[in-house]
Amino acid sequence: MRLVELSRSEHAGLRIRADRVEASAASQHLVPIVVSEFRKAATQYPIVFAKNPETGRFAPYVLNGLGVEENLFWSGTELDVAYVPLNVRRQPFYVGMNDAPNGPATNVLCIDLDSACLDGSGTKTIVNPDGSDSAYLKEILSILGELVAGKKTTEQFIASVLSLDLLAPIMLDIVLDDGTPLQVQGLYGLDEEKFRQLDAGQVASLWKTGYLDLIYAVLIASGQIFKLIRMKNQRIAASRAWHSNAS
Amino acid sequence: MVSPVRSICIVGGGTAGWLTAGIIAARHRAESGRGLQITLVESETIGIVGVGEGTWPTMRTTLKKMGISETDFFRQCNASFKQGAKFARWATGEESDFYYHPLMLPEGFPSLDLAPFWTKYSDEHADAPSFSDAVCFQEAVCELGLAPKLITSPEYAGVVNYAYHLDAGKFAAFVRDHCIKNLGIRHIVDEVTQVVKNDTGDIAYVETSKSGRLGGDLFIDASGFRSLLLGEAMGVPFVDCSHVLFIDRALAMQVPYGDEQSNITPHTVSTAQKHGWIWDIGLQSRRGVGYVFSSNHTTVDAALAELRAYVGGAHRDLQPREIKITSGHRQTFWKGNCVAVGLAGGFLEPLEASALVLIELSADMISAMMPATRETMDIVARRFNQTTQYRWDRIIDFLKLHYILSQRTDSKFWIDNRDPASIPESLKEQMELWRYRAPGDQDFTSNNEMFPAASYQYVLFGMGFRMDVRHQPLDRDLGSAQRAFTQNDTLKGKWTKALPKNRDLINKIKDLGLQKI
Repeated sequence: MRLVELSRSEHAGLRIRADRVEASAASQHLVPIVVSEFRKAATQYPIVFAKNPETGRFAPYVLNGLGVEENLFWSGTELDVAYVPLNVRRQPFYVGMNDAPNGPATNVLCIDLDSACLDGSGTKTIVNPDGSDSAYLKEILSILGELVAGKKTTEQFIASVLSLDLLAPIMLDIVLDDGTPLQVQGLYGLDEEKFRQLDAGQVASLWKTGYLDLIYAVLIASGQIFKLIRMKNQRIAASRAWHSNAS
Repeated sequence: MVSPVRSICIVGGGTAGWLTAGIIAARHRAESGRGLQITLVESETIGIVGVGEGTWPTMRTTLKKMGISETDFFRQCNASFKQGAKFARWATGEESDFYYHPLMLPEGFPSLDLAPFWTKYSDEHADAPSFSDAVCFQEAVCELGLAPKLITSPEYAGVVNYAYHLDAGKFAAFVRDHCIKNLGIRHIVDEVTQVVKNDTGDIAYVETSKSGRLGGDLFIDASGFRSLLLGEAMGVPFVDCSHVLFIDRALAMQVPYGDEQSNITPHTVSTAQKHGWIWDIGLQSRRGVGYVFSSNHTTVDAALAELRAYVGGAHRDLQPREIKITSGHRQTFWKGNCVAVGLAGGFLEPLEASALVLIELSADMISAMMPATRETMDIVARRFNQTTQYRWDRIIDFLKLHYILSQRTDSKFWIDNRDPASIPESLKEQMELWRYRAPGDQDFTSNNEMFPAASYQYVLFGMGFRMDVRHQPLDRDLGSAQRAFTQNDTLKGKWTKALPKNRDLINKIKDLGLQKI
């Protein structure tokens, strides 16, 4: 990865292949999301919580697979799913921090010059011929804007559920159709039993902050794990069929 | 007529007093209908000795049960991680001579005993790894200065087993604040001027300078070396153990780091000297270094010269604090309605960090066995005394074990330590058996053991003890043993790569905090 600050003049000639964006998530079993995505994500994925390995802080993620580096939604050419998280769609752009020696740190728009999305055959450009921001770049800026705004609200939501002791490790003990036992570790979910024990005052405060909606989104999304197991078993069956045909 | 036990009066506010208060309160506050009122009185003028700077892994459970956050503990107690002890120059006295007593069991222990396999291999191979290195990957983690966990590990959970080093003064204040704020302990700062008994011989109350009489159904003596209640008032004599353990003096120093961000050694280093040994404990902001020695074998001046040689010329302005100690304990620990914890009960050299763990164990036992009435208290007292006596005996045996196998001949201190007359019979018996087989759980069958058989193995083989394994049937478990040695190597490779430097993790914990889950 080679992140540089995006320059409208210097990078005006870059061509971007939007059809390669989703490939960046082909081997990601977890993609971080922000709270504004919970409702949409819940219709497609389990929403789980995991710790950042550098800071130990919790963040929400969509779960794409049952093993490390497994994305069951990746078809080989695209993500076969009705909602693709912002953190995939914003590729190959990033938000960096400009830590100026004096004054507050500000966000700067960066691009990964090593990204496979940068290719002469791409159809997207960052600026129009007249030098103004392209519709494509405007779309990217709006996605990154939602991510930046969502960072703080997501952290506040996490702090709130942690203070109520609502997070608990998820113990997934799955046996696949081919008999392989699967154990998924390091994932956390909402503890429904503890959630039910909250008193009226606590629930009222969750409702006022809008966190109650988010909690229900996560609880409902937890059932999506069965979809992942089904997809995984279908893959096993497909690969078995392929092997028996081949032999 | 029965007299219910409703109130406890603790005299003394060092780590012993406050830990005991916290441990008892954490259990008994939660029990409905059995609220015990706990009062702790401490003097403003009497300082704390603060000997205990190293804990056992038990401290993690103790703090957790009291409802303390591990992050707060790191932020406020100058604390660091401890993963056992490195014993340097104990066996031969040479520069390269060291072994580890890590906090993890040997791979496969106790269902598989690697000791005879390692013995056989090292009999036949001059380049064999040391016992502690061959059977436990924690030594490698320590040698690289790594922390026992990750920033993603929850509070009190470790990748490898760990304990703490802490600043005893800060720790006592930290536990005190928690006890007062969260556990409902009544705190009185005053001088105890007199201990008054009633006609049955129980303590009726303690008289104080400003706060009048403080009564209690049970009195806990945490007054330190003075043993104000159990020793002075109840007249329980002191049992001197200095014929077994010769250490009777300490010179302690606080040594600053050369660089504020120097790594913090993640284990206690105990380096044998001519007339004793030097402890070296890394905290966040300084090292605690001290020489414990036998004043019957050397002079304070000579000892100070050895200590100065150890800490180096850069610290020649540091002035040591001298502490006189007597190895031993009270003849009983609970008499009438008075029980002693910490130094009031006894003291042993801090070779295996037994001071704080004994406080935890005593407080746990008092708390679990808390008599409902004065009438049942004598039964509890008898059991408490039996168990506590057993624990002291086992610690004394285990400490002595460190000395009896040394080959050092550089002073009378080491030679006298090997005199059979100074070795307890219980230890002599074990040593006879261990000539032909390694220490195992069959040698330690009480529910109240202090050290597991594995600890004896680490010290025995670390000290160069050779066992005769010719008559042992080893073939049956040979495959399992080979797999266990390989597994140890695999884990060593994995975790020495994944674990962070000790200082780096502690900085991160102070900055970001650990999660509770």
